[in-house]
Amino acid sequence: MGDASASLSSFAAEHGLQAVASVDAGPLTPLLVESGAGRITPAARGPLGEGVSGAIGQLVYTRNKTFRFAVALTEVPASTAFAPRVFCIRSGRVTRDDEFYGFEARHSKLWTESIVLNERYRVATSPYQDQNWLRQLFAPAFVDWLAHSAPPGFSFELAYGALLCSTEEADPDPTALAALAAATAHVAGRIAAECGE
Amino acid sequence: MQLNRVGIGLIAFFGLAGLAFAIVPFAIGVPAQVAAILALLGVIWVIVAGGLVLYARHARRKAAHQDWVFANGIRGTATVLDAGSNATVNEMPLMKLRLDLDIPGVGGRQVGRREVMPVFAANRMAPGLVLPAYFNPEDPNDFVLVW
Repeated sequence: MGDASASLSSFAAEHGLQAVASVDAGPLTPLLVESGAGRITPAARGPLGEGVSGAIGQLVYTRNKTFRFAVALTEVPASTAFAPRVFCIRSGRVTRDDEFYGFEARHSKLWTESIVLNERYRVATSPYQDQNWLRQLFAPAFVDWLAHSAPPGFSFELAYGALLCSTEEADPDPTALAALAAATAHVAGRIAAECGE
Repeated sequence: MQLNRVGIGLIAFFGLAGLAFAIVPFAIGVPAQVAAILALLGVIWVIVAGGLVLYARHARRKAAHQDWVFANGIRGTATVLDAGSNATVNEMPLMKLRLDLDIPGVGGRQVGRREVMPVFAANRMAPGLVLPAYFNPEDPNDFVLVW
């Protein structure tokens, strides 16, 4: 395994971010909740892409097994009014190995309108989501980007304005971090644009 | 609440294993005393599976009703006056909310409400938060809180 801090420092220096020991994001999204404290470490803060800033780093936690994700966190505050929750998760992704409970709060509903999207992702929203807004968000160009251009293992979780994008990279190199940052900026830009429509 | 994949697995496990315990020992000629003990265990497991199925059906009916209220109800607001939790259900906080309801055409009033929420949603519940709410046109006490 490589040195995550060195990769992150290298990426941060190259892209104008500030490397920090950790970012305590808190339980803002389901993946951050799974991790317990929602601590991204090592991490870097700063611009992720055009007009989008946030934090990027590693999320490592143990739920029977140890899970490692490269994550980027930013905010799209305007989205809360249109889509409180949108989870676009790579099909087959596992985020815990200690699930014992057979019932859960009814907080999401699968959205299966896009066949192309559903080949690679499981998309879930609030049960009371405006479907038209969702159709507009997942316009063909965005679906095509998610299906063919997003980094391998990419997923995103939008919850009450907090946007967490992630890949399943255990040890991301600067190139992988740059791809994640760019993808996060792309998704944040797409959501913000749709909120502004 | 809604059944998840683990729940389906639990129902299948308790149901099938319970049936196996109840039937197989007699079928293969296990001594009667041992077969009776296994059968008792099997019956208990089948009852557990049946209970889970009943609860899942109840949750499904409730969800269908909430969907109906959302689709046909009067849209109003619920302002959180107080929020707290001192219990969890399956790792999710059971939130005790005090809400100030504003129902167009009906008026306003304060009510208490308990909701099981994922942690990331429960963290948002703070006094002053205004949430959309949908009220059953025939019974304003019946409402869906959109969190």
